[in-house]
Amino acid sequence: MVHQEINLVPDLTVAENVYLGRMPGKWSYLRKGEMVRKAAAVLDELGAAINPRERLGNLSISQQQLVEIAKAYAAQPRIIVLDEPTSSLSEHETAALFRILRKMRDDGIAIVYISHRLKEVLEIADEVTVLRDGSMIETRPIEGITAGAMIRLMVGREVSNVFPKSAAEIGASVLRVERIGDGASFRDVSFDVRAGEILGLTGLVGAARSEVARAIFGLSRIVEGSVSINGRKVVISSPSAAVRAGIAYVPEDRKGDGIVPGMSVRENISLPILRRLTSFGRIRGSADRSLSALYVKQFSISPPDGERRINLLSGGNQQKAVIAKWLAAKPAVLILDEPTRGVDVGAKAEIHHIIGQLVADGMAVVMISSELPEILGVCDRVVVMRDGRASQPLTRAEFSEERIMALATGEEAA
Amino acid sequence: MTDAAMEISGLNRNDRFTRGSRLVDALSKTGLLLAILAVVAYGSFASPAFFTTGNLLNVLTSMSIVGIVVVGMTFVLVVGGLADLSVPATIACGAILSLGLQPLIGPVPAFVLAVALAGLIGLLNGVLVGYVGINPIIATLGVGTIGLGIVQAAVGGVIVYGSNTASAEFAKGRLLGIPVVVLIFLVIALIGHFVLSRSFWGRWTLATGGNYNAAEASAVPVKAVKAGAFVITALASGVSGGLLGLTLQSARPLIGSGYEFSAITAVVVGGVSIIGGFGSVPRAIAGLIFVQLLTNVMVLQGVRTPIQGFVLGILIVGAVGMDAALRKRGVV
Repeated sequence: MVHQEINLVPDLTVAENVYLGRMPGKWSYLRKGEMVRKAAAVLDELGAAINPRERLGNLSISQQQLVEIAKAYAAQPRIIVLDEPTSSLSEHETAALFRILRKMRDDGIAIVYISHRLKEVLEIADEVTVLRDGSMIETRPIEGITAGAMIRLMVGREVSNVFPKSAAEIGASVLRVERIGDGASFRDVSFDVRAGEILGLTGLVGAARSEVARAIFGLSRIVEGSVSINGRKVVISSPSAAVRAGIAYVPEDRKGDGIVPGMSVRENISLPILRRLTSFGRIRGSADRSLSALYVKQFSISPPDGERRINLLSGGNQQKAVIAKWLAAKPAVLILDEPTRGVDVGAKAEIHHIIGQLVADGMAVVMISSELPEILGVCDRVVVMRDGRASQPLTRAEFSEERIMALATGEEAA
Repeated sequence: MTDAAMEISGLNRNDRFTRGSRLVDALSKTGLLLAILAVVAYGSFASPAFFTTGNLLNVLTSMSIVGIVVVGMTFVLVVGGLADLSVPATIACGAILSLGLQPLIGPVPAFVLAVALAGLIGLLNGVLVGYVGINPIIATLGVGTIGLGIVQAAVGGVIVYGSNTASAEFAKGRLLGIPVVVLIFLVIALIGHFVLSRSFWGRWTLATGGNYNAAEASAVPVKAVKAGAFVITALASGVSGGLLGLTLQSARPLIGSGYEFSAITAVVVGGVSIIGGFGSVPRAIAGLIFVQLLTNVMVLQGVRTPIQGFVLGILIVGAVGMDAALRKRGVV
């Protein structure tokens, strides 16, 4: 079983993680050398260039994902279940993973590959089963199915355009960052977003896209350059300063940074603007409830119950609640970090629809995404990041899958 | 789709638990009340001295002094601050200063100053834990030791006696037949309950304890909230120490030792999560009532002190274990 989210121990070495729970040895004496040798052999077999003695936490997310796969493989299973294994891999690494999977298949291992990326399914699978709302819809051999047919089965109706581009009026520049850097992972990053515009921020894993977003939101420090909102320079020293300046941020790691699991949907939604619902220190219960009721209805959060604990909701509905929590703050600019990662096709379309409505109302949106089709379909302009540097923005007329990949990998071919 | 994978590996137990957990859920809410009733029933049956006004008033009064600390300690546990071990120092600070300063500035200013200085110890705890990021156990242990040392040095390590009879009369007195100390405890408990459950500060406290990173990313001033919990506990302990000094009319530097353990026991037995993010003042007070009544029954029954400690230790471990188990099942 390979999970979508990394389930490894960051403080142990790669080898220890691969053999976690099944370490070679007797009577609690650990044959460390043997373990490292075996782990190296497994990683080698998978074609992953990772030192088994390296501390796991020092690896990039995508390397950790490969370790996760190596861990499953080292158990010599007959069946491997992979749950969205490519959600943190770049296209390049995905190709490497597919080579490994084909090799496993040829060795006689049965592979269950769970993905919402239809292109990958078409590329790797021999047979595809579509599930919808917890029930099995259909199983077909891959030869007899197209992406369009799969989407029809998934949503239960015809979807003409996966990424409906809303035609919002583009106004004046709202957020402008000039030559900002954090002294570590990125520097010299400049771009601006205008009212009614969706600016895409893309690049390979490790290009420091999220770091830029977190710094603009005040979760880490900007040491050089300037940030201005509506033409006025602002200093963002904390998330509350960012909220006051009109910046909101939906983080990439929903479970870790997005939701407070023990709290209800209502309590999560009102968290950023709690002070505004307060008189004499007391939260006005009616204001609190009507705020959540408003967004639960507007975003059709399911189940439509603001009192339900947020961790009992599906990923897509959690994400809608996290977005709702920021709309209540009425920001001028909304930064979305991988907003549709790990959500199903239906919720994805709903989230895109919500984003479309926001820009139609004049909000400026920065959307970070690793999914090129999403970037190409939704964004008005795109900034491509590579190794902590940002490209010039590309307009819709200028960008294409090839051009973005060229900028992201640095292999500019003319 | 992801749900499907979790089903295969048997990880997705949410549904089963939301259906099957009603009994567990109800038990976690009423279990403590039932336990309190059981102790009362057993006590009145086993000891004729138990169910008397005198005994119960005694329990209530001694409970109130710890209870004020319990209200503060609830904030520390809920915010995810583990525990405040500087309570003995802040209690000593409150007791010694509120008595020792009486001849100099009068009883009321002495009390206020004592509580304020206790709050200062809490502020130091809060800065170390919330802003510097030191483990709360180590930080509060260190600050407590330093604070106790300073207080001890200031009074020369001797016992301080009260010199103002009017304030002593007040602290030992009764209003409408209820001891003043108990009334003060009730007022503080009500304020604490209101702040934790109805105010923005309380919601921030719960959010910070529930998921620190998410609270920070939701513009909650997490560092201040975390520090605030330690200030609240120190202020509460200062009041508790001041009242203790006034009722005893004497204070020695070790007057507060053991109170941190009693307070933590009560909060944990009350079902407030030691990992943070869950709990309320009434729950903590229910835990306190249970522990105090149980101790009282044991004393009346002549149970020896080591055995009493044994029972309380088992209670703590059991309560923390239960919290962990319930959390895993997603009930609380």
